[in-house]
Amino acid sequence: MKDEVDLTNKRDTDAERLANQIVRHVSDEEWGVLTDQINQLANDPQPNTLARVFTAIPRTIRSADKDLRITFDETAPVNSDQLPLLVKDWSLARLVRVWVLMNLPALEQQAYVSLIDRLFKYGEMEELVALYSALPIYHDPAAWKPRCTEGIRSNMAPVRQAIILNNHYPSRFLDEGAWNQLVLKAFFTDEDIPQIIGLKTRNNAALAGALVDYAYELHAAKRNINPFLWVLVAPFLDDRAYRLMEQLIQESEHRSTRKAVAYAFSASSFAPAADFIKENSELTDLLDTADTPWDGWLDQTD
Amino acid sequence: MCNYSERDRASMGERVALDLDLVKGFRFFDPHIHMVSRTTDDYQAMADAGVVAVIEPAFWVGQPRTGIDTFRDYYSSLIGWERFRASQFGIKHFCTIGLNSREANNEALAEAVMELLPFFIYKEGVVGVGEIGFDDQTAAEEKYYRLQLELAKDARLPVQVHTPHRDKTKGTSRSMDIAQEHGLDPGKVIIDHNTEETVKEVLERGFWAAFTIYPFTKMGNERMVEIVKQYGPERILVNSAADWGISDPLAVPKTAALMVKSGIPKEVIEQVCFKNAVAAFGQSGQLDESMLTESMVIDQGQKFEGNSILRGGQQPRRDAGSIIIS
Repeated sequence: MKDEVDLTNKRDTDAERLANQIVRHVSDEEWGVLTDQINQLANDPQPNTLARVFTAIPRTIRSADKDLRITFDETAPVNSDQLPLLVKDWSLARLVRVWVLMNLPALEQQAYVSLIDRLFKYGEMEELVALYSALPIYHDPAAWKPRCTEGIRSNMAPVRQAIILNNHYPSRFLDEGAWNQLVLKAFFTDEDIPQIIGLKTRNNAALAGALVDYAYELHAAKRNINPFLWVLVAPFLDDRAYRLMEQLIQESEHRSTRKAVAYAFSASSFAPAADFIKENSELTDLLDTADTPWDGWLDQTD
Repeated sequence: MCNYSERDRASMGERVALDLDLVKGFRFFDPHIHMVSRTTDDYQAMADAGVVAVIEPAFWVGQPRTGIDTFRDYYSSLIGWERFRASQFGIKHFCTIGLNSREANNEALAEAVMELLPFFIYKEGVVGVGEIGFDDQTAAEEKYYRLQLELAKDARLPVQVHTPHRDKTKGTSRSMDIAQEHGLDPGKVIIDHNTEETVKEVLERGFWAAFTIYPFTKMGNERMVEIVKQYGPERILVNSAADWGISDPLAVPKTAALMVKSGIPKEVIEQVCFKNAVAAFGQSGQLDESMLTESMVIDQGQKFEGNSILRGGQQPRRDAGSIIIS
């Protein structure tokens, strides 16, 4: 009965959704092994058993297509305490690993955290990617703040991306300092900024100030500035930011930069910015947001 | 490992200018190189010369470690950061994990390392237990060599055996004796750092014979060419063992170039400089040829106009010939 997923220990419909994806891509035999392992861990989550199962996932699903990448809509958590999980271009091994973690029982907090901490401590790169992707689904969510903050410092791009991009955990749980580091790191490492969740709700004056400093530094070095930076700066425009932006909107050779600054000016209540737009009506075509990364930003809720 | 012996230019034979055009289109696999000690320039040069994959055996770091945490962090770096660093240059990075012979002599620490090893040897991309074996050929070295052979047997992993520099011939025979005593299949054991004196016995007994092309202290590649001429390509591997000493991360492509010049057929060169490494370490189940033919996926991502950002698998190239750094 491969098509009907019936796990006696399923935690919620989230785990069920992942299971329904996984079952399509593995053999009957592999599926049998996986469900046995899940049930065993749900009943008796021994650290050694978990470590062995977790590490061996790629061997357990050997028949699966290695190039397969899975994307699906956000899972809809049953209880509102739990964050949704966003699956975007994941390998099957990553999905299975997160599913294994979802099925672990909620132990007493210290035991639960140390069970998963040990996986972090010995994780290779792909394991770390899965472990950080799973931040939204761990029990005791607040307990993972230091781990999340630490992961943002990782020098391994895929590991860092697992936290920074398409992950609901950081914006919900990080304090302002750690959140700002996440966003700055994303700019420094050329991440695709709109894939950060919570950019709008967590935007703040200290971050905008740091981004403006960064923009000045890049400008002095004659390096490119990611236009999206100006969208985040917009609500906190001040004289210092305005000086550089005014220069860029007139001189930048990149139309995307001129468009971003125009957009920021139009969204800002800072008087010189509003005046600049009014006085330069020929710039209105720059205000078209179609095909820009900030298209829809005004209506965005997170 | 470097022992610097004074040698004048004349004693080093005829100089042959570096010409990697001789091996254009070849793919190389260096199955023994310590990339943690190498720079990004080395990675770039290796990728340019056709190196598509490497195996980094766990080794000592030039001086003895004094605590278990430094071992753990070292092993972690082999399956984490170093793997990522290699991927930036399009090079697949595998490793072997083990307690090296020198540090086996610190028994208290060695015991702790033995407890640590099972956490690492089952990881993705770990293609064997190594490099293990003898250095001084002490009782402690023998003890941990044997224990790790058992570990490899349980995990069904190949073994990468470091052979001693001093008393090499006897030490090599003894390494093989012990491996067979523990019931290991010689076909899953790679005996490393061979010489003209050891190769015959290693091949006759069914082991893989790896040769380290390393200036001054190990094999030179002219000697390597002669060995391949004499013994053929079966079960012979070429590596650089480049590390923190004076060594050459291009030893494999350079040796291949010399083989081309010496008239060795291309199939033979491919076998000793690529295919045999895949076959020997592929027995781990962690490595096969299809993984090495995958083209690196370059995600151009969402480029902003006029701003081309290189992502995943492509590093910007610095201009080493310019005094301008920008």
